[in-house]
Amino acid sequence: MIEGLMQALTPGYMLYLTLGVMIGMFVGCLPGLTATMGTALLVPFTFALPTGEGIAMLGGLYVCAMFSDAIPACLVNTPGTPAAMATAFDGHPMVLKGRGQEAIVASCFSSALGTVFGAGCYLLLAWPLITIALKFGPAEFFWLGVFALTIIGSLAGDSILKGLAGAAIGLLISSVGISHGNELARFTFGIPEFRGGVSLVAGLIGIFAIPQVFSMVAELRKKEFIAEYKPKGGETLNTIKKVLSHPVHVLRSSVIGSFIGILPGAGSPIAAIVSYNEAVRWSKDKSQYGKGDLRGVTASEIANNAAAPAAMIPLVTLGVPGSSPAAVIAGALMLRGLNPGPELFQSDGALVYSFGWALLLAGIVTFILGSLFAPLLVRIIRIPLRLLAPLIMLLATIGAYAIRNNIFDVYIMLGLGVFVFIVRRLGFHPGPIGLGLILGPIIEPSLIQALYISDAIGVGRVFFTGTINITLIAVSIFSVAFVIWTRRRDQAQERENASVGS
Amino acid sequence: MKTQHDYLRRGILGAVAGAFVAITAGAAGAAGYPDKPVTFIVPYSPGGGSDQQARRLQPGLEKALGVKVRIVYKTGGGGAVGFGELWRSKNDGYTISNVVVPNIVITAQGKDVGFKPGKFSYIGMTARAVGALMVPKNSRFKSLDQFVAEAKANPGKITVAGVGSTGKMNMGDLANILGIKHAYVPVSGGVGKMIPMLLGNHVDAGMTASSHATKHKMKLNTLAVAGPSEVGTLPGIPNVEKWGYMTTWGVMAPPGTPADRVKVLNAALLKATADPKVRNMVIKNGLQPMRQTVAEAAAYVAAAVKKHSK
Repeated sequence: MIEGLMQALTPGYMLYLTLGVMIGMFVGCLPGLTATMGTALLVPFTFALPTGEGIAMLGGLYVCAMFSDAIPACLVNTPGTPAAMATAFDGHPMVLKGRGQEAIVASCFSSALGTVFGAGCYLLLAWPLITIALKFGPAEFFWLGVFALTIIGSLAGDSILKGLAGAAIGLLISSVGISHGNELARFTFGIPEFRGGVSLVAGLIGIFAIPQVFSMVAELRKKEFIAEYKPKGGETLNTIKKVLSHPVHVLRSSVIGSFIGILPGAGSPIAAIVSYNEAVRWSKDKSQYGKGDLRGVTASEIANNAAAPAAMIPLVTLGVPGSSPAAVIAGALMLRGLNPGPELFQSDGALVYSFGWALLLAGIVTFILGSLFAPLLVRIIRIPLRLLAPLIMLLATIGAYAIRNNIFDVYIMLGLGVFVFIVRRLGFHPGPIGLGLILGPIIEPSLIQALYISDAIGVGRVFFTGTINITLIAVSIFSVAFVIWTRRRDQAQERENASVGS
Repeated sequence: MKTQHDYLRRGILGAVAGAFVAITAGAAGAAGYPDKPVTFIVPYSPGGGSDQQARRLQPGLEKALGVKVRIVYKTGGGGAVGFGELWRSKNDGYTISNVVVPNIVITAQGKDVGFKPGKFSYIGMTARAVGALMVPKNSRFKSLDQFVAEAKANPGKITVAGVGSTGKMNMGDLANILGIKHAYVPVSGGVGKMIPMLLGNHVDAGMTASSHATKHKMKLNTLAVAGPSEVGTLPGIPNVEKWGYMTTWGVMAPPGTPADRVKVLNAALLKATADPKVRNMVIKNGLQPMRQTVAEAAAYVAAAVKKHSK
């Protein structure tokens, strides 16, 4: 392990790592350029480098993209990658309140914390953690998805019913296309392009960015730019202190992020959602969530970053990548004749460890670069809306097109944008719709598989047996009950206040 | 400390070489096809057999064609999403895709998938593997006989995962030969998603190919392979002679791609697979290398279409 560190600390290694981080910064910032695409595009360029440097560069890109996707999420309410959806919930309201610099610095510092924690897990606990992760079968994934859905309680705004309806719409949209397992075309309405389903990235851009642009245009007369921003000295240090003043929160988000990152197929977006949900649940004062609570931003960013190095754990222990960018890195290794998996520990142990250190160092480099650029980036919100709105529209269109090089995705994005803009006026929050879209591809196949297994060994044994199943069911029920209870209490309190006031 | 200098120098050299290749490629490309990047669709999730084929061929294809080859993943529907994407792509030779035979034929069978497997312009098959039935190392099944005995004692109680309806059919064939009944569990997206299910004992067995069995030898046992003989990389694993399942990986273009461009692509493919490094990688991965002309490839797929149309 020490050998790995020494290898990672050589100037050449650090140079390429930093280069990867800088590319990642750019990739994450642009909605539509995901970490998967960024790493895939970079792979051919890494062939000129030795293996260690090559995959360190890819790892650096991945880690940094998981931070920089928070930048558009906070500033213009458009997640740069699906993993930053939960960051936008509180990040954007913070920006609107003039706390832009704080939001960006907090994202950056949280990302660094998460990365270091996740990389620590990779370096120290890879084997014990993967043993637990393997206990997640189809039924467990199904319940995990259901549990993640309970976040609707904290997102829904005025009406739980509208939140549920939003999530149902999102799930329904995610089921468009050829079905999992038995390859039947669903909801295609005779349009061939629908067979490929709705692209998650294009869908999320449609749900978040387009309504934002429409609102900007609608509000042109009322305000000239997104929010006020005055750079403050010492803001970086203050923010770091604020983040660290909730040590339990930081630890919880790191643990959730790392663990969900390890589960093959779950990845950073789910990690961020679950972490955000838990942050809300365990906080004493929940009133500020969704309105600009710093802890909302840190919960999401710590977790989505912790999940990035953690997604490498199944790759080196089982030979199965834990996320799509990890799969691209696996491909890069295979092209060099290395077989990612348990044998890599024996044949190229130093490489496995130096990669872990590279991920850890990438977190630190990300923080240094991110906090240097934060004051500059935040200036985006001072761009006059009449310039910013078309600019976002342009980037959104390019992003939606680029993800599959398909103009159909742009139409889907625009259609969903108009739809969400309208339902938002009716009191729907875009969050649950995006949530349904992200969780659908996790919930549906695992439900189908679990049902097929149930045919052989019984529904009870598959869905309702085992510690993980029972725990997930229990916490899901608890979440729902808790939301109903707090809402009743709040309503009662409001009525009381109203009667006192009158 | 010599290494760091070396690395730097190699990096710079690489960049210079890259720029040089780009310039010469531009010059060569001006003469005609291809003069811009070629998109290579992988219809299964990254890390699987198709992804490996694409990554293996990418450098050789780029060298032979003189342009970049961009790999894009279009996964879902047991490969149908990616195949459909290629079907709708422009047939100008700038979009090609990975193809798995007979999977593409079985996936399309009697369903509204939106493409006809027989109509694509096939460039060539590059490697094949035979079917393999795998179980985790800690499985209660140590041999095929044990597996068959328990399946006969408890019909329909043993769970076997496979990829989509192709896996369902292949496992069905094996079950018929062995005279057993099992419960099939479809996995969408490829074998990469199946391995953790096996390792975590969520299913009893998995239906894949000898290449996957070779790659995961350290963690998974193979009970049987398909075909007339044992597989070199899996010594001592019994073969089920009557089980004819074979997976073939190849490359195809959209229907109606001009013949001269298909020829250029076929020549590039043959050059890429001739590289001893690529060949060794294929053999090491438990695959059998294949080299085909355009006519051979078309005939190969036509035979599969005929076989499964019965």
